[in-house]
Amino acid sequence: MERISIALALASASLRSEFQYRANAVSSVIGGVIYQLTGFLVVWIIVDRFNTIGGWSLAEITFLYGMRLTAHGIFYLCFSQMFDIDRVLISGEYDRFLVRPISPLLQLFTRQLRVNCFGDLIGGAALLAFAARGVGIDWSLAAWTFVLLAVVGGALVEGAIQIALGSLSFRFLSSIAVRQTVNEVFNQYGNYPQRIFPEVLRYLLTFTLPVAFVAYFPASALLDRTGELVVPAWIAWIAPALGVALFGVALGIWRKASRGYQSSGT
Amino acid sequence: MTLSRNWPAWVAIARTSIRHHYIYRFNALLAILFTGLQIYLLTVVWKAAYGDRTEVDGIAIGQLLVYLTLAQLQLRFLQMELDGDIEGRIRLGQIGFDLSRPVGYPSQLLAAAVGDMIGQLPMLAVAFPIALIAGELSGPPSVAAGFGYAAALLLAWILAALLNMLIGLVSFWTLEMSGFRMIYNLVGNFATGALVPLWFMPDALRIVIQVLPFQAIAFVPVSIYVGAPATGALWSALLLQAMWIGVLIFAIRWIWGQAFKHMVIQGG
Repeated sequence: MERISIALALASASLRSEFQYRANAVSSVIGGVIYQLTGFLVVWIIVDRFNTIGGWSLAEITFLYGMRLTAHGIFYLCFSQMFDIDRVLISGEYDRFLVRPISPLLQLFTRQLRVNCFGDLIGGAALLAFAARGVGIDWSLAAWTFVLLAVVGGALVEGAIQIALGSLSFRFLSSIAVRQTVNEVFNQYGNYPQRIFPEVLRYLLTFTLPVAFVAYFPASALLDRTGELVVPAWIAWIAPALGVALFGVALGIWRKASRGYQSSGT
Repeated sequence: MTLSRNWPAWVAIARTSIRHHYIYRFNALLAILFTGLQIYLLTVVWKAAYGDRTEVDGIAIGQLLVYLTLAQLQLRFLQMELDGDIEGRIRLGQIGFDLSRPVGYPSQLLAAAVGDMIGQLPMLAVAFPIALIAGELSGPPSVAAGFGYAAALLLAWILAALLNMLIGLVSFWTLEMSGFRMIYNLVGNFATGALVPLWFMPDALRIVIQVLPFQAIAFVPVSIYVGAPATGALWSALLLQAMWIGVLIFAIRWIWGQAFKHMVIQGG
């Protein structure tokens, strides 16, 4: 409990520090929204002109896009500092984390906040709200709960991959290239119904890099489209739980790797 | 112009820029990899949209795939960082040294852009095969299309450099630029037509994008290359690009005059 309140205090301090430069913070949020809108605009124009992509209607694709974006927003809100781990290790900032009484990983996550995550969250929520009525889902409490669990699970999937890959930095000092590439794959390939991809790629995006678990599987489950998946329907339904499991594994990897930390001496 | 007299200065500035690129070659390779991922995704998505059709609105699927591949590849190499450089040098006060040189500041920037382009050229050896694997490339359908593209590409490069410089000059008024620049880059990136060619845009959107200069960076040259009928006459397309270059040169001159009066050299 105490740990959570410390984490929240640290996080709110970084939020306040970002908003010291108000104009820049606000334009970063707006920039975040526009960034997602231009990505979505491509999908919207194509479906507007061609009616479907891979048999999915505009409302269905919007729903998928909204789920992925919200999950990514939560991921970026909580774990964006993973992208700075190389700098933290090389500059010796990690030494400071070690002498404080809370977990270094928690200190890393709360050290700074990237405000453009609010752009993802606003954009994702707007798309979900916009698509919700058109997708023909019976919006019971259970359905909404599943959406909530799915976006949190999706955030944990992305977080788990980034933490596991970030652990490489303890050994190699720099892993940013791998992490950025993987993030790019999630960002680009996670928003589309994977049915349009060749089969090999679909398996790769399921079992090698779990992109499909972030939004495509849970969205297919809700939209009653599990027949087109490369896995049985029940796997799509338990996607959120897989996020939790992967996250647990990633924390284990991080803990093991961080034992090999050697200060850079700067 | 002072161009002819100052060419040694020009060459020196361009050279520094080439070296700068060499230092950051790893980032450049990563950017090319991202472009490859984007090309592959775009071609798969558009193929799915076409479905069984081989032609929509007079655009064959083959033409479209070459368009998407070449447009992305080309944009990768038209990406410039003059705006960030200007901001950085103002922030650190180094702009004072730039201005004390006997070459005008806008021409120094142009020289840097030339160097940057030359520095990027070896990367084509990597980018070209990646684009070929990720997407689809073939020769232009006619000799005229080939030469037309070469001319349009040169004009597109000049246009991209001028636009980039114009945005950079805003740093003389405010240094809190990162959010604004992000918005500008995104709108600009979409408005080039590299993600969705103008043929398939809804009318209202197309009209807006046609009055902006960005489409002259990707859509105009690349649609000439694939020999798309909707481009209309080759000459009018080139003329449009030239017109935008004229407008931007005029705008940069004027804004630079204002910026010079506004300048604050930050102490080191």
